[in-house]
Amino acid sequence: MSKAPISEIETGEGNKQSKAIEIAGLDKWYGKFHALKNIELSVATGQRVVLCGPSGSGKSTLVRCVGQLEGFQGGTIRVFGKRLDGLRQDASRGRPFAGMVFQQFNLFPHLTVLGNCTLALRRVLKQPAPTAREIALHHLDKVKVREQAQKFPAQLSGGQQQRVAIARALCLEPRIMLFDEPTSALDPEMVKEVLDVMTDLAKGGMTMVCVTHEPGFARAIADEVVLMDEGRIVEVSPPDVFFAAPKQERTRQFLAKVLQ
Amino acid sequence: MNFDPIMALSCVPAILGVVATTVEVTLASCLGSCILGFGLEMARRSGVSTGYAARFIIDFVRSTPALAWLYFLYFVLPRFDIVLPPMAVGIVGLSIYFSGYLAEVFKAGIDAIPQGQSEAAKALGLSRIDTMAFVLFPQMLRNVAAPIGNYFISILKATPYLATIAVPEMLGRAFDIASDTYRYAEPLVVAGVLLLLLALAAAQLVRLLERKLAHPSRR
Repeated sequence: MSKAPISEIETGEGNKQSKAIEIAGLDKWYGKFHALKNIELSVATGQRVVLCGPSGSGKSTLVRCVGQLEGFQGGTIRVFGKRLDGLRQDASRGRPFAGMVFQQFNLFPHLTVLGNCTLALRRVLKQPAPTAREIALHHLDKVKVREQAQKFPAQLSGGQQQRVAIARALCLEPRIMLFDEPTSALDPEMVKEVLDVMTDLAKGGMTMVCVTHEPGFARAIADEVVLMDEGRIVEVSPPDVFFAAPKQERTRQFLAKVLQ
Repeated sequence: MNFDPIMALSCVPAILGVVATTVEVTLASCLGSCILGFGLEMARRSGVSTGYAARFIIDFVRSTPALAWLYFLYFVLPRFDIVLPPMAVGIVGLSIYFSGYLAEVFKAGIDAIPQGQSEAAKALGLSRIDTMAFVLFPQMLRNVAAPIGNYFISILKATPYLATIAVPEMLGRAFDIASDTYRYAEPLVVAGVLLLLLALAAAQLVRLLERKLAHPSRR
């Protein structure tokens, strides 16, 4: 299989490779609503961080800021040392450094599974069609939906669609994968097949930031679990501490509601 | 004055002879107003100043009567030494008049696409133009097929306006016959019935096209 070369991303001085994401003093408003308040968080290369918290706590907003889908007003986000622009970037950004997986899959309904996966390979990475196809099939195989390559998204189950969405993001060989509640829109019996794919990814050493309410997944995969509430980070702990002996009272309250 | 069916039948060949003109004007105006309308909608979505300009043009075009556009192009432009043949005036006039409505159709067609589609495209690093061309435009086509079909029929029904600027279309030809024979009922009824048949055929065509454009998995 011919692999596309990973683009050169400038690294900051002194912390080569060690820091994948560094967020410092991040502030974001939606009009008068203060969505993110002075967020400090760093994710090392190869680290898996799970974000949880009640709805409206800012966890999705945080992931979307890192994925450059949202701008922000204060603080900095550095990805592999490169500082992100706080303004929403509408122009062509070229190869994205992070792959993004959404709650609603957001597959392109008018394209086949294969077409979904090859679009960015062809248009952004300028790969010739046969190469794009080869790369796409490789990643579809990894998430076990290769047989569905010629079907349209609407012909697949939710679990299959989300796995296609993961494969689509992986085709660009991102160095970070961002997941925004990837299993929340799925029927219960399909959650596992998606979590299995994510677990495989984690075992392969992918740097991951995942908004999820799946405690099992967090326990098995996460290096750190982050609790957010009202736009602030309340606690950052390894999963065994987070679930068994949380440092913060707020975390205990949250877990009592989630893990009943 | 009684309705003379024999006289009516004798009008048919003459009026039928200009059906091609009506169809030609309708197709060209539909294409023209789609292109203008889509361009206006794209302008409305781009920068702030072009957005305001496009919004003004759309509102202006929508609040002027079709006949005003035709008269302006036919009677006023020649004073500035721009003389267009009647057919061209008809096509340009109807294209401008309907472009404002078509812009609204395209707006609704794009707005109906879930926000997640552009976000996914953005997350994949697609440029704005590629996002429009490969992600939004194909999905918009499905959304706009039915309303454009309606406007196609509206444009067909607007072609009799062209009789006022000497385009040889069906109503114009009917008036010609009427002024030659002093009989109005027969040629006008024939023109009306033929236009109705055309409109019905167009509606059928639109329905067919809609089915063709429907989502492959829902066909």
